[in-house]
Amino acid sequence: MSPYILFVMLSSLGLGTTLTFTSSHWLLAWMGLEINTLAIIPLMTNKHHPRAVEAATKYFLTQAAAAAILLFASIYNAWYSGQWFIQDMSSPVSTLMTLAIAIKLGIAPMHFWLPEVMQGISISTGLILVTWQKLAPLALLMQISHNIKPELLIILGLMSTIIGGWGGLNQTQIRKIMAYSSIAHLGWIISILHFMPALAMINLFIYLIMTITMFMTFNLLNSPTINTLAMNWSKSPILAATSALALLSLGGLPPLTGFMPKWLIIQELTNQELAPTATLLALSALLSLFFYLRLSYSLSLTIMPNTHPQTLNWNMKTTTPLPLSLMMMMTLTMLPITPTIISLF
Amino acid sequence: MFCVKNARLHPRTIWHFTSYGVLPIRCYRRPGVPPDNTPPWKKIDFNFSKGVQGIKKHFGLLKKEMFERFEGPQGRPMREIMLEQTRVVWEFRNQESLEQWVVSSDEEMGGKSKIYLRLSRNNQTALLYGNMCTEVPKDGETRYSGYCTLRSKQLLGAFNVKTHHDWSNFNTLYLRIRGDGRPWMMNIATETYFQHQKNDMYNYFLYTRGGPYWQDVKIPFSKFFLTSRGRIQDDQHPLWLDKINTLGFTLGDKADGPFHLEIDCIGVCNDRAHTEEFAYEKYKKNP
Repeated sequence: MSPYILFVMLSSLGLGTTLTFTSSHWLLAWMGLEINTLAIIPLMTNKHHPRAVEAATKYFLTQAAAAAILLFASIYNAWYSGQWFIQDMSSPVSTLMTLAIAIKLGIAPMHFWLPEVMQGISISTGLILVTWQKLAPLALLMQISHNIKPELLIILGLMSTIIGGWGGLNQTQIRKIMAYSSIAHLGWIISILHFMPALAMINLFIYLIMTITMFMTFNLLNSPTINTLAMNWSKSPILAATSALALLSLGGLPPLTGFMPKWLIIQELTNQELAPTATLLALSALLSLFFYLRLSYSLSLTIMPNTHPQTLNWNMKTTTPLPLSLMMMMTLTMLPITPTIISLF
Repeated sequence: MFCVKNARLHPRTIWHFTSYGVLPIRCYRRPGVPPDNTPPWKKIDFNFSKGVQGIKKHFGLLKKEMFERFEGPQGRPMREIMLEQTRVVWEFRNQESLEQWVVSSDEEMGGKSKIYLRLSRNNQTALLYGNMCTEVPKDGETRYSGYCTLRSKQLLGAFNVKTHHDWSNFNTLYLRIRGDGRPWMMNIATETYFQHQKNDMYNYFLYTRGGPYWQDVKIPFSKFFLTSRGRIQDDQHPLWLDKINTLGFTLGDKADGPFHLEIDCIGVCNDRAHTEEFAYEKYKKNP
């Protein structure tokens, strides 16, 4: 893509999210979401490929439908309460608004578009999809979280973690695995959203760091399936070793960074007298952990029984980008500074 | 594109609204042939036992699809999927295996080529044979003629839901064939539901060597190029293997006469030494 066009698209993406962040009017927030959707479509169809066209079509249809529902809910709210202020959503359509935002985010049971869309686009566009595109809808959800029934958020969160864990078990494509991982992590975020939005933000921050690390790793290794991932130990042994640990961090194992949000969320849910919910969330995290472990097994813990590993060095890039090193370090070693991170949010 | 002769009206026929009325868009209708205007209810086969069989079959398939998820992807354990390097997709050992294929020739549009498919000796292979004739039908609009095709049928799941072949773990197509020296064209059609390019197909050549010896042909999927309605496209991209609909063989070498192609098996394999991603258009387009 021409650098000028790429600049326009990326700045439109930034503009859309920033508009939604800074708006207190529903129409401006909706406009920001629409700008986001439209700006990422050309990035998805950058390579003229049938699967990319399919992904862009599915993405556009789901996001447009969600935006239409959101617009309808905000207009109903304006008609019912007489004002457009986002944080004063007290009308009966808060549930509808939540469902519209859930479709935008890919929260179960409105998650069916996410794996297919992720499969059709490149890894770097997929990174934008699971990180940047989540910020604007989550910002809206945080602003209306005190008006939403907590039971709805808990149910959506539980369904997301369970379906995200279960759905990822039968996948061999890396991008679909990361899509289900995104669904599961969003489940954790929204389950605590009503009780402590700051904790949801911490979870989002840690999730963004871990996901960016993994996506940058997969981009560097250029491996679309688990089988091709298994060949990378000869290309870059250090990356193979640290990526295995990063995957375990995504799974939420101590003493890695990913344990922090899960621990804090379980603690808060228990304080809110929701111990069974916390137990179910923890158990569903085991499902996700299984496929992360499978990825780490194929990446670094086992050697595939193939005869020609040397021929695969043709694809090796010799320099590791600095952002990946920084993100990897943050993914693995931030657990001891948990109090500092809590004080930031 | 091909049509099956004497086909019943497909449940998903598209209705074309014209000033003459509502017409179904079906297979190619040769000029001079009267249109088939029998109403759809006269084409339905009201057979109770067949209906019951159909219900049993489809619910059985649905149950199988639901429970095979617990086994692993595509109903097989994950270890098998990850470690497999070869998979036989089609082999011709009984009459049911021939039901998965459709033969077609230019006879659909008035030509004179003939093609047949049957099991060969000892029911071990399939024999595709016939006679190619390049005589152009005298209907005033056809300019060229002479092709014969063997194409696999679309995979259907429970309740005739379209399913696809997933060959993403493999990178080479393997064929064990015995031909008569004529050049064939392999066609792979992927899922095009979300695009307007419904005629997109990925092709590559299959040169047969005549003779009594079997020929092992390995075609990497990176060699397949994109065509649409027989014309090679400018904007080439590699074939994605996650949603393959059909595989086909086409003979169109403009040579009149009989032809034979014996197929033992068709499979896919993962050649680890083959590292090419795409054989064409390796440069960056629109930099």
